[in-house]
Amino acid sequence: MATGTDHQPSPDTFAALYEVIGGFNKTGTVLTPGTRFSEDLNFDSLVVMEFVAEVEDRFDISVPLNLLPDIATIADFAVALEKIVAEDRR
Amino acid sequence: MADLFDRFAPLMSQRDAFFTDGGADPFNVRMTEILSQTEAMIGNRRTILVGTNNYLGLTFSPEALAAAHAALDAGGTGTTGSRVANGTYAGHADLEQALCDFFDTRHAMVFSTGFLANLGVLSTLMGQGDYILMDADCHASIYDGVRASAAEIIRFKHNDAADLDKRLARLAGKPGNKLIVVEGIYSMLGDTAPLRDIVAVKKKYENVYLLSDEAHSLGVLGKYGRGLPEQEDCEDDVDFIVGTFSKSVGTVGGFCVSNHPKFNILRLVCRPYVFTASLPPAVVAAAQANLSLIKSGGALRTRLMRNAQKLHAGLSGLGLKIASKVSPVVAVVAPEPAVAVAFWRGLIEAGVYVNLALPPATPYGYSLLRASLCAAHTEEQLDEVIGIFADVATSLGLIEPQRKRAAIG
Repeated sequence: MATGTDHQPSPDTFAALYEVIGGFNKTGTVLTPGTRFSEDLNFDSLVVMEFVAEVEDRFDISVPLNLLPDIATIADFAVALEKIVAEDRR
Repeated sequence: MADLFDRFAPLMSQRDAFFTDGGADPFNVRMTEILSQTEAMIGNRRTILVGTNNYLGLTFSPEALAAAHAALDAGGTGTTGSRVANGTYAGHADLEQALCDFFDTRHAMVFSTGFLANLGVLSTLMGQGDYILMDADCHASIYDGVRASAAEIIRFKHNDAADLDKRLARLAGKPGNKLIVVEGIYSMLGDTAPLRDIVAVKKKYENVYLLSDEAHSLGVLGKYGRGLPEQEDCEDDVDFIVGTFSKSVGTVGGFCVSNHPKFNILRLVCRPYVFTASLPPAVVAAAQANLSLIKSGGALRTRLMRNAQKLHAGLSGLGLKIASKVSPVVAVVAPEPAVAVAFWRGLIEAGVYVNLALPPATPYGYSLLRASLCAAHTEEQLDEVIGIFADVATSLGLIEPQRKRAAIG
């Protein structure tokens, strides 16, 4: 998702994501933009769904399920998130 | 080079941790003889079945048995192909007409299983630029169906019409059709959709359709067994009903009914309809025979609900946590997966079969002992089931011995 775009998500977006992920970070992994949900955080399908629901609440958006297969890292998610927020404002 | 199956390693180790010590294993239950709708031999033990989804007990109805026998002799063991390629048997068309009569809809389409009905309808109904808004607790077949669709997929919080409203409001300015997907009774916990609230939200917006999966509520809810839309008196507002013959109808197969005038084009575009073998004649005949029993099955529904009440009251009286209000599905919540496994084993060793359901297949990460009632369960059977739950729960330290005595007298 992040590849092929110049867009850099804002530090605020990352900070908010880190906060939400904190509640699910059972491996105690240090969070960086490159942290991977599946490999590094061991998120299974159920945790992914709970995590997405929390992000949706926090940002008052809907994250289509179709986006999820293309999201591997926190940076990927941040880019997708800012795109949804920007589209909703239009 | 990694082994082909290495990516399943976490699941394999979870399974092995629970089930390779030689004890009873839900993946290896062998029912060697089906004694009735409510009992089977598992190994050498007569076992009460409380996990079959055979809500009305119609798997041995004399009407369906006779119809199936006759159709088997007349039409053979299988159709050996798809209706699109090999042709429709008269029985298929009769069954579809029977579904139209039952639901009072213009159209009905029969699929080979309920899973395929969801897969077929949900993958084709909405296209590029459309939106599907699905309840988060929907069945795997709905998830797989929408995943195969070109539409954008949005989940709303389980049974939360306000959350659905919020999400539809965000889409209000956008072109494209919207389809809401809910279930009449959710299979794991047995809770029902707030259908009137969902309909009210639907009506606030343009181009919104509603599909309800009545797999577990067909035959169970409504005066005539037409499911939650009938019970909630909002059948005209539900555009598509999907269902299965594998629960209250007592055989196998799936369907979708609708009043949409152009519905029949789905027969050419639903790949899980076009490219799979149609139902064999005996199954078709059994489904049709039992469908008419369901319509006049008020007494069966009364017995089913009475049994549901009894088991729900009995198990909650023991101090066990039940996931939802009284419903033909009674799901006991265990504190963690290992306890659920031990509980399930204790039950089956004592002659009670329920479904073991573990995360991630369950909502809220619950570990469940999922029981489903049958109209044919007797009071004596349910007393025995409650007593065995009490024994096993006590031996696992989940309830106090005095609770057990108080509950079962």
